[in-house]
Amino acid sequence: MRWIRPLSARVREPAEVLGAKAHGLVALHRLGLPVPAGFVVTVEACRAFMREGRLPAGLAEELAIAMTGLEAATGRRFGGAQAPLAVSVRSGASVSMPGMMNTVLNLGLTTEASAGLATETGDARFVLNSRLRFLSSFASAITNTDVLGVAAGPGGAHGRGTGDGDAQLIEAIEKLVRQRGGRPIPDDAARQLELAVETVFSSWDAPRARTYRELHDIPHDLGTAVIVQAMVFGNRDDRSGTGVAFSRDPNTGENVPFGDVLFGHQGEDVVSGRSRTLPLHELAAREPAVWTALIEALRRVEGHYRDACYVEFTFQAGGLWLLQVRPGRFVGGAAVRVATELADERLITRREALLRVSPHHLRHVRTPRIAAPAKADIVARGVGACPGVAVGKVATTTEAAVRMAADGPVILVRPETSPHDMRGLAAATGIVTGRGGSASHAAVVARAMGKPAVVGVTGLVVDVAAASWGADGRTVSEGTLVTIDGTSGEVALGSPPVSTDAADAHLRRLLAWADDVSGDHSEREEAQRLSAAHATLRHH
Amino acid sequence: MSRPTPRRTGSGLLVLHALRCGGHAGLTRVAAATGMDESDVESELIDLAVAGLVTHLAAGFDVWGLTDAGRVADAEWITDELEAGGARPAVTAAYERFLVLNPELLDLCTAWQLRPIDGVMTVNDHSDPSYDTRVLGRFAALDQRAAVVCAELAAALPRFGRYRTRLAEALDRANSGELEYVADHVAASYHTVWAQLHEDLLATLGIPR
Repeated sequence: MRWIRPLSARVREPAEVLGAKAHGLVALHRLGLPVPAGFVVTVEACRAFMREGRLPAGLAEELAIAMTGLEAATGRRFGGAQAPLAVSVRSGASVSMPGMMNTVLNLGLTTEASAGLATETGDARFVLNSRLRFLSSFASAITNTDVLGVAAGPGGAHGRGTGDGDAQLIEAIEKLVRQRGGRPIPDDAARQLELAVETVFSSWDAPRARTYRELHDIPHDLGTAVIVQAMVFGNRDDRSGTGVAFSRDPNTGENVPFGDVLFGHQGEDVVSGRSRTLPLHELAAREPAVWTALIEALRRVEGHYRDACYVEFTFQAGGLWLLQVRPGRFVGGAAVRVATELADERLITRREALLRVSPHHLRHVRTPRIAAPAKADIVARGVGACPGVAVGKVATTTEAAVRMAADGPVILVRPETSPHDMRGLAAATGIVTGRGGSASHAAVVARAMGKPAVVGVTGLVVDVAAASWGADGRTVSEGTLVTIDGTSGEVALGSPPVSTDAADAHLRRLLAWADDVSGDHSEREEAQRLSAAHATLRHH
Repeated sequence: MSRPTPRRTGSGLLVLHALRCGGHAGLTRVAAATGMDESDVESELIDLAVAGLVTHLAAGFDVWGLTDAGRVADAEWITDELEAGGARPAVTAAYERFLVLNPELLDLCTAWQLRPIDGVMTVNDHSDPSYDTRVLGRFAALDQRAAVVCAELAAALPRFGRYRTRLAEALDRANSGELEYVADHVAASYHTVWAQLHEDLLATLGIPR
């Protein structure tokens, strides 16, 4: 076939053709790890689409052939009334452009196929939830808005527990799509697939994606691949779920698996921050077989990439599936520790270890951090938006922050911030918010003010009337002393020890190797010692 | 002689709503937000304070803010204005277009503050003019699309026209070297004005955060 490749161990083409995500899935196949059956539409097809303004000739036929193959591999029928096959349709360029392009889940769940799946599983609520997912992700992709957010209003995660509202949400989304005057979502599976591929290709040229490429020196003509895979359902039952995992702790570099897991949900929920996730190790107790398989998978991908790695996974009815893999891209002290320990484990040489750490990383090694998070009483976890540690008493409103700041440092905790909170942000020493990521209003303001900030704490509830906030079922009253780490996104009760040299021992060893390489053992700045080693290594 | 009750439309509404969308502010900032003279702003604020809708915080701040009653009044007045002009469908449509632009604006503010160097997000120290020029160029491209949305809003409700002026001013100042007018919290920066526009749209349409 001209435009399509199967996802299999036999595919040899590089990431420039397959896209990085599909290239990673091929690597997982080679490692014998479980990957849902599927195929990839190459970036060449995207380039043809960009040139011609429509899907290239022959692609529709190839899609039909590839789907027939997928039906054979899974024993299911695409859009069929019996044993219907649903697929995910995801973007995957050769370079990372996180969150810039579209994903459609559960595609192929037409009215007829949904009825068939309900009969097959005997679980109408699961099917309704899955169809809602399909319609909302597809409608969002077509209209370029967060359709579920608009239809459902603020908050609201949509896992298995919220079945009653799903039917109304489906109606609201269908109405919204009609109102926007866009194309209605077709009820024919093959047509859905063509439209989804076209929509993902189009999203390559969305203004926001163009801006991202301009800022990151990525050429506009690269294009994206599209990955089509048989769905695995994290929302299938109580023994299903989804998560993300690092093979080592990305905050410290310590050799322990780290990540989030969400039971009874599909993948987007973890990444979007719409739902309250659990620490990865909860999986060990609730699904020990999945945990064991995941740990083994992480070990194998580390061996392959010879680096700390990141995977996205789903488990369905107790079976593990891997959906994405890439190197971990650690920074600061974590990068130093991983490089040093990988050299100790003989997975890489000392020279490689030196080249893995940029002199720029060293500037971040000394950023203050909570010294031993495992021993601290962590009450909440979000995304670090402005590095540094802040210690202060909790205020839950701007007024309280301004009032309390007269007596000592204050940590302002808000669901999200608006212009109303500017005085509170100015008065506070550190900032914690529930909604929004590292580009949210709160994050932008915190960085402008140079204040440590933790944003996107999932499940954060601020009760202004009770002057308290909580996450994960715990409640913290206004005035309580907390410590926040704007690198790791941790919020701890009290004032646990803070350190600026967490990676000190590893750094000393790495720099000693650097001096051995450069042959210069004189007193110099750390970055200079590493740069000298890099210069020597690049000459040889 | 009693003071006149504050007007539910015109400058009374403008001043009250500026505090609703921008949070606590002094005369200068309210004047900038509304396009009114400071003396006119002060006069309106005093009327609003007598009516119990705003309050003056002295004690080192010298800023004005809404009372709870002021918040309720603002919601009522702003809804009356919206419905009286039949502007809701047009403002709703413009808000949806604004939502498409909003993530890109936040991306740009982040890129202004942090830039990846060897994969590490590093504070942009503005020592590389070519990087800053590139980011400001993207701001200008976004601003052109934002101008279309602002024009739609101003056509539906003229008071929204002020945002166009303020955004353009912020970008002009940034381009002429006043870098704090991009994403800083102190000035009437592009990000500050944008956040107020966002808050205004939510308040006007009665959408809770």
